[in-house]
Amino acid sequence: MNISGLSFNALPPIDLPFRYFLTAPLFVIFCGIYLLSYGDSLWLSRWTTGMLTLTHAFTLGFISMVMMGALLQLLPVIGGVGIKKPRFIATTCHMLHCVGTCSLLLAFNAPTLWWLYLAIFCLTLSFLIYIVALIQVLIKKLSQGDSVIGFRLAVFSLMVVVLLGLGLLSRNLDLTPFGLSKLTLLADKHFTNIHAVWGIAGWGSLLIIAVSFQVIPMFHVAPSFPTRIKKTMTWFVMLFLISYIFFPVWAMPLLFVVHAIFAFSLLSVLARRKRRIIDTTIRYWQFAAIALLLSNAIYFFPESWLMLTNDASIFHNLAHKKELILAAIIIFGYLVSVIQGMLLKILPFLSYTHLQQRCLMDFSAMQYIPNMHEFFTKRQASILFYLHCTSSVLLLAVILENQFYYFFAVLLIIEFLYLFFLSLKTVLLYFQVSNKISLSSKG
Amino acid sequence: MTSIPQYMTSKHRECDDYFTEAESAVAKENWSEATGKWQQFSDELALHLTQEEETLFPQFEQATGMTAGPTQVMRMEHQQMRALVQDLDNALNNKAKDEYLGLSETLMVMMQQHNMKEEMMLYPMMEQHLVNGEQLISSFEQS
Ligand SMILES: [Fe+2]
Ligand SMILES: [Fe+2]
Repeated sequence: MNISGLSFNALPPIDLPFRYFLTAPLFVIFCGIYLLSYGDSLWLSRWTTGMLTLTHAFTLGFISMVMMGALLQLLPVIGGVGIKKPRFIATTCHMLHCVGTCSLLLAFNAPTLWWLYLAIFCLTLSFLIYIVALIQVLIKKLSQGDSVIGFRLAVFSLMVVVLLGLGLLSRNLDLTPFGLSKLTLLADKHFTNIHAVWGIAGWGSLLIIAVSFQVIPMFHVAPSFPTRIKKTMTWFVMLFLISYIFFPVWAMPLLFVVHAIFAFSLLSVLARRKRRIIDTTIRYWQFAAIALLLSNAIYFFPESWLMLTNDASIFHNLAHKKELILAAIIIFGYLVSVIQGMLLKILPFLSYTHLQQRCLMDFSAMQYIPNMHEFFTKRQASILFYLHCTSSVLLLAVILENQFYYFFAVLLIIEFLYLFFLSLKTVLLYFQVSNKISLSSKG
Repeated sequence: MTSIPQYMTSKHRECDDYFTEAESAVAKENWSEATGKWQQFSDELALHLTQEEETLFPQFEQATGMTAGPTQVMRMEHQQMRALVQDLDNALNNKAKDEYLGLSETLMVMMQQHNMKEEMMLYPMMEQHLVNGEQLISSFEQS
């Protein structure tokens, strides 16, 4: 183990993660408004402009946004060092990521090429800077944990996803001057599938799995995940992701199975936790695990059985919409749930630690610091959870019966406005108390 | 013979156990149980922090020459934890349930983040750099 460079001086300035956390819900809120204006035709297939906009607003605008902000905070704790020049990197990447995501969403909807150029430029640059900064930390062998391996694999997946995404976008450009004919790049559905599967099961899920190995035993005083699972799970996910490129037909079920195993061990570890106090984050984890199991059940349920029934109603519809339903359950039921649950812990905790560190020189100012429940109450956290449960159910409803889109969109807006409100409340209280501390140390 | 990481990690777990039991008791407003468990927790924690600050950290600093680095950050975090323990003491004496649960949530997250840095980095490094690690631990075991 290399000990030079180990600092522990942990925390990057708080406004950096705050920036990511505050902008993330806004993308989903705009997404909700977009859903309202688009109408029910959005839900017809995976390939509508609307669906592309929706998935990217969620994955780039919300999921990746929060994960990138959270990594700033997690790396020092898990790896012992943070990224270099955090303010420069986070500020630049955050801005470029926001502009890039907005332009990409516009590019899907507007026929002009300029949005596309802008999206390609901004997203390439922001991911490049961010990934390089992460790699500089992750190549160091500082930590003993198994999580670091999962982090590395997740970042590797992110690289693949970004490269494929750029490749897919470039189909819309004329690259003949560079010696690339449109035909060579005219990827089929398979490349889009690889892009999606690596994004969801690689970048998203690998990071969540790696983080869960660390934080679940910690925050909930639960037993560790079985060593065999900790050591092998992330590698198996990676193995099946690579196999998926060449043999999608048999790699896909394996990816589902490995996630079912993760879900079972997650539930079992949570069930054996010692800390029994009611905690909304736990319910989010359980909800996510159940979503994974449900996706497995739907994936492995033989389609022919659904078609056996005579009445052409819901069962036929289910078989027909299987792909969309699975994507919805995994993205919204699994990834988004875990991220919301984590935000509920990270937001007040970050605020608290930063405030407390400012008091190290002036202990009398400690009296101003709110405890974690004063940033937002347990009740407010569970309201967010119930909103999320309801919108998850409505999402499935809308895929099966498109005319429900209105209810789903409205609820989505309410849910993420509420998340935004809770985040903003935390941030405002932070700055208010921070001012008090400054005043007290001057006085 | 027990190694530094083994012993110190097991003490973290022991503290966690008392801590959780105290917290559950407060949630049920079982104040006498809560006070007992809390006392056990704060005694264990105080002993553990002292063992680190007075024995392990100085030895590590001597062996590696790193005086301003990780151990300094750990010492500061200990101060933060002690301040929270003080607040929790007051909340418990006043039987202020909500106040206690809010603070205990805070201490929990802070303590776990601290322990993780020790368990994953600092203790393994100590084992690597301190030749008398097992002797130190057996002196802890006897105290
Ligand atoms: Fe410590
Ligand atoms: Fe310790």
